[in-house]
Amino acid sequence: MDVTGQNAEIVSARDLGVVACTRCTQVWPAGTQTCGRCGRAIIARDDKSLQRVWAWWLVGLMCYIPANIYPMLRTRTLFRVQEDTIIGGAVELLHHGAAGVAIIVLVASVVIPLGKFMAIAFLAISVTRPSSVSNHHRQMLYEVVEYIGRWSMIDIFVVAIMSSLVQLNTLAAINPGRASLFFALSVIFTMLSAQAFDSRMIWDVHAKREGAPDNE
Amino acid sequence: MSETPTPVAIETARKPFFARASFVWLIPILALVIALGVAWQAYIERGPLIEIEFDNGAGIAERETELRYRDITVGVVEEVKFASDLSAVVVHVRVDKDVAPFVDAESTFWVVRPELTTRGVSGLDTVLTGVYIEGSWDGDIGEEQTRFTGLNETPLLRNGKKGLEIALRTTPGGSLTDDSPITFRGIEVGRVGKARISEQGNFAIAKAIIYEPHNRLVSPTTRFWDTSGFTFSVGPSGAEIDFSSLATLVGGGLTFDTFVSGGGGVSTGTVFQVYADESEARNSLFSASDVETFEMRVVFDENISGLALGAAVKLSGLTIGEVKSVSGIIDEEAFGDSRVRLNAVLALQPARIGLQDEVTPEAALQFMVQQVEDGLRARLASAGLLTGGLRVELVQVDDAPKVIVETGEGIIPIVPTTESEISDVAATVEGVVARVNNLPIEELLDSAIGFLESANAFISDEDLRETPQDVRALLGDVRGFVASDNLQSVPGKLNTALGHFESLMAQLEEQELATRLTAAVDAAAAAADGVTTSVEGVPALVEQLQAVAAKAETLPLKDLTTQLTDLTASADKILNTDAARKLPDDLGTALNEINATLAELREGGSVDNINATLDSTRKAADAVAASTQELPALAERMRAVLDQASTMIAGYDKGDMLSRDARKALRDISKAADSLDSLARMLERNPSALIRGR
Repeated sequence: MDVTGQNAEIVSARDLGVVACTRCTQVWPAGTQTCGRCGRAIIARDDKSLQRVWAWWLVGLMCYIPANIYPMLRTRTLFRVQEDTIIGGAVELLHHGAAGVAIIVLVASVVIPLGKFMAIAFLAISVTRPSSVSNHHRQMLYEVVEYIGRWSMIDIFVVAIMSSLVQLNTLAAINPGRASLFFALSVIFTMLSAQAFDSRMIWDVHAKREGAPDNE
Repeated sequence: MSETPTPVAIETARKPFFARASFVWLIPILALVIALGVAWQAYIERGPLIEIEFDNGAGIAERETELRYRDITVGVVEEVKFASDLSAVVVHVRVDKDVAPFVDAESTFWVVRPELTTRGVSGLDTVLTGVYIEGSWDGDIGEEQTRFTGLNETPLLRNGKKGLEIALRTTPGGSLTDDSPITFRGIEVGRVGKARISEQGNFAIAKAIIYEPHNRLVSPTTRFWDTSGFTFSVGPSGAEIDFSSLATLVGGGLTFDTFVSGGGGVSTGTVFQVYADESEARNSLFSASDVETFEMRVVFDENISGLALGAAVKLSGLTIGEVKSVSGIIDEEAFGDSRVRLNAVLALQPARIGLQDEVTPEAALQFMVQQVEDGLRARLASAGLLTGGLRVELVQVDDAPKVIVETGEGIIPIVPTTESEISDVAATVEGVVARVNNLPIEELLDSAIGFLESANAFISDEDLRETPQDVRALLGDVRGFVASDNLQSVPGKLNTALGHFESLMAQLEEQELATRLTAAVDAAAAAADGVTTSVEGVPALVEQLQAVAAKAETLPLKDLTTQLTDLTASADKILNTDAARKLPDDLGTALNEINATLAELREGGSVDNINATLDSTRKAADAVAASTQELPALAERMRAVLDQASTMIAGYDKGDMLSRDARKALRDISKAADSLDSLARMLERNPSALIRGR
């Protein structure tokens, strides 16, 4: 495995007796309390990071449930009011033959959020117990999660744009459903969750694992 | 790092969870609390589930179909199932909590579907949005109920409309348009629901509703009738097509009116009959169809053909009932013989008799029995001239023998009949025809023919043809008479007298003279008329003549001749009377006197004499009048003679000698009469001619 090949070159900042400011990235000697440049408190490891991760993650998940139960979009035409949930809307799109759009919706609204939940949970778990996935991969996963998180808002954008554009009074109107709020909250909370994750811990685990055989 | 003492590390790790717990945990806890709170609230606010059974579930979709009350959604269908035996569709509806208490045992539910009727389109929105369930309940919280049976059709009284619920049933054999509007003066004020047929199939009955505030238009005397379709009639004013409105023409409809005032209100569920048209409805006011009646019977001795079932029973011209049955009856005990009599049972309507207060059949019967004892009698009368139908009339007979009317349970009191019922009434057509039939038309024709024949013979008689010539001769004579000296001299004298008259005009009672003269002239005219009539009456005499002729054959001819001669002689005498001859003389004398008197008066000039003069003038005028008045008498006498003569002559029409003589005499008489006639006529035309001689 390439993991073993890379391991040898990795040296953590802690090993070198330095600590970096998380805001301005200025490196200070270990034990420095506040960043001399930006004034931020310097913490080598955020011991409450995981708590925050899990807390946000939980709220995000809690919001994700109503986001899927309640209708995302409320389409009112002359005689008819249609309310579609995320999955229902995608299925309907599929029925209408718009498979591509359906897939985009499904990926953006279901696959990515769910993947994010799983990824964050995996990362949070992996820092506390041994994992078979290499630190590099996990770091990459974390970066992808953090990067892609904001794109989950695409659904909300679509709903927002549609609701503002399609307002033809009595003829037709599209309004955001209750799910849109929950979905947005869910995305926000998962982003917060991802941000709360202190990625340095990935490497601590590595160090622990590396160090464990040393100790024994 | 690794040098850090292990026990210390353990101690640090064993710090209480809450101490090292991040405040971030508050957020999921808060979210959880909120979520739980919301869920709890939703659960708390969730209304009860009710079940409604429908025959079919057309258009009902789970979680989509709404329950509406006054067109506002108050619930949604959660589940649609079949009843356990598949006999119905059970719709489970989650009702909003705030209205749920009102959904009590009296609630009704029905499915609103698009409907296209003649009244218009309803439920159009359901075409696109799908059907919904409409519920109706009142504002009172009643006994809770969760299982309902839905209505198959929209109920008449929908939410928010109040009205009077009545039932409409057809008359026996009639028809009814159900599910149609009820109009009043063209305005829709109610609605007829779905009709159902009675168990016996003899009528249809439908619920109907009269919306508020129109329910006050309905009273127990209100009559409903069908306005559907159209009537087409051809009458003296041309063809006529009549229908109330296009909507009722297509979809049918009912209307009503209250022909009799009063009656008070109508309670829910009152049954009204629906009549075929307005006139029937109007007449029904006097029919006993829907009111309790009481019975009396009449036993008729005579033939009552024409007395049909349902024939009217009238009291003083007012229909108070009808004939309910007609049957034969043999009751030797009651009537003394075993003849078949006819027994007509009358069904009378208490309300029509006109009793005050509450009218029960018993009270009305009692009243009628009293009336019968006081002389009320039944008789038959013609109902119509053309139909020959009969009706029963109850009339008060003044000197009716006292009767005791048997009454009691199960006994139908008898109304005695009066005599000569039909015959004393205006004759029926039958009677009229019978009378016409009895006329001696053949005999009449025979005598008419005979009359015409003899008239023809008489007219074709040559003597009669000669009459005009005779008349002409007579006229000549009269002319000679008028031109006579005596008569001629009269005007001159009269003129003089008139001159005096004029000078005394102021005092002279000219009026009297004029009046008398007019009377005289009138009498003369009458005389002339008499003469004319007698001449004209000749044909009329023919019949008499025939009779006389028959007699004459038995009479001795000579006697007749003698009589005739005598007649002629007397006629001559009459002509020679002084009255006739002296008339001009008298006139002249009188005028002379007047003249003399006037002259005297003028000469004397004395006012004292005026009165005397006036007296004598009046006398003179009277004399003139008297002499003039004699003319009619004379004419009368002559006419009598002439009549007699004519009577005689007719007997000898065949050309006997005698008849010739008689005719001659007649001719003389008629000459004389004619001369008088012409004189009279001249006087009539120009009274002053007598005076002036012109």
